[in-house]
Amino acid sequence: MRQAGAYSGLLCGGVSGRTGPHSLPLARIKKIMKKSGEDVKMISGEAPIIFSKACELFIQELTRRSWIMAIQGKRRTLHKEDLASAVIATDIFDFLITLVSNSDSHETTSAIMEVETVDFS
Amino acid sequence: MDQQEEQDRALPIANVGRIMKQILPPSAKISKEGKQLMQECVTEFISFVTSEASDKCHKENRKTVNGDDICWALSSLGFDNYAEAIGRYLHKYRQAEREKINQHKLETTKLQYYDGSATETEKQPRVTDKVENPSTTNQSG
Repeated sequence: MRQAGAYSGLLCGGVSGRTGPHSLPLARIKKIMKKSGEDVKMISGEAPIIFSKACELFIQELTRRSWIMAIQGKRRTLHKEDLASAVIATDIFDFLITLVSNSDSHETTSAIMEVETVDFS
Repeated sequence: MDQQEEQDRALPIANVGRIMKQILPPSAKISKEGKQLMQECVTEFISFVTSEASDKCHKENRKTVNGDDICWALSSLGFDNYAEAIGRYLHKYRQAEREKINQHKLETTKLQYYDGSATETEKQPRVTDKVENPSTTNQSG
C-alpha cells in the first residue's frame, strides 16, 4: 500500500537508477561517491537521495550566477566561460577553479587535481 | 579516459540540462559545452562533499556515510544554505520512512491476526470479547 502525500515520491523512488521522482539517478550518484576516495566504504541508503537534492541546489546556484555573467556580456546563451567566471567570482566554488580553467585539457586537469588532492592533508 | 567513460562517470547531461533550464528564463539557451562543464562541476561537487563527510566518519570510527554526515560536510565546506534545506529534506525523508515501516508493521500484524490459525476443533477464536468480526477490510483468503 502506498501512502499518498508530498513525500510519496521518496518512498517509491528507490535506488533503481531511473530518474523517477528524483531528478538525478541515485545509482550514478552512489558510484561517484564511492570513487571519491579509498575511505568511502559504506554509504547509507539515504545519502544518494540527499545528494540528489544537494546537486539540484548546486546546479541552480551555479546556473544563476553564470547567467548573470552572460547577461553582463549581453548574451542570452550560457557558455562555459560564464560558468568559469561564476566559479572564480564565488568563494565556495574555489574547489572548481582548476576544473574550469583547464576545461579544454582533460589530461592537464587530472594531473593538477592529483597534486592538489595530495596537498589537502 | 574516453568520451563514453567520461559520460558514465558523470551525471546524465539531459538531467543536468533540465535542471539548468528550469532556473533560466524561457528564452535562454545553454551551449553544449556549458552543459558538459556543469556535468563535470557536479561530479566534482559530489566527490568534494563526500570526501569531507567520509573523513569525519573515519575520524569517528564509523563505516557508513549517512545523511547527517552529508549535511555536516555541506555546512563545513561553506554551503550553509544548502545544509539547512537538506536538513529539512532529510528529516521529512526519515519521517516518511518511519511511517512506511509502521504501516508495514500494521499490515503484517493484521494478517497474523486473521490468518485463521485456529484449528478445526477450536470453533471459537482465542481472542477476547473486544475483538470484532473481520470487517470488509480483511483480505486474507
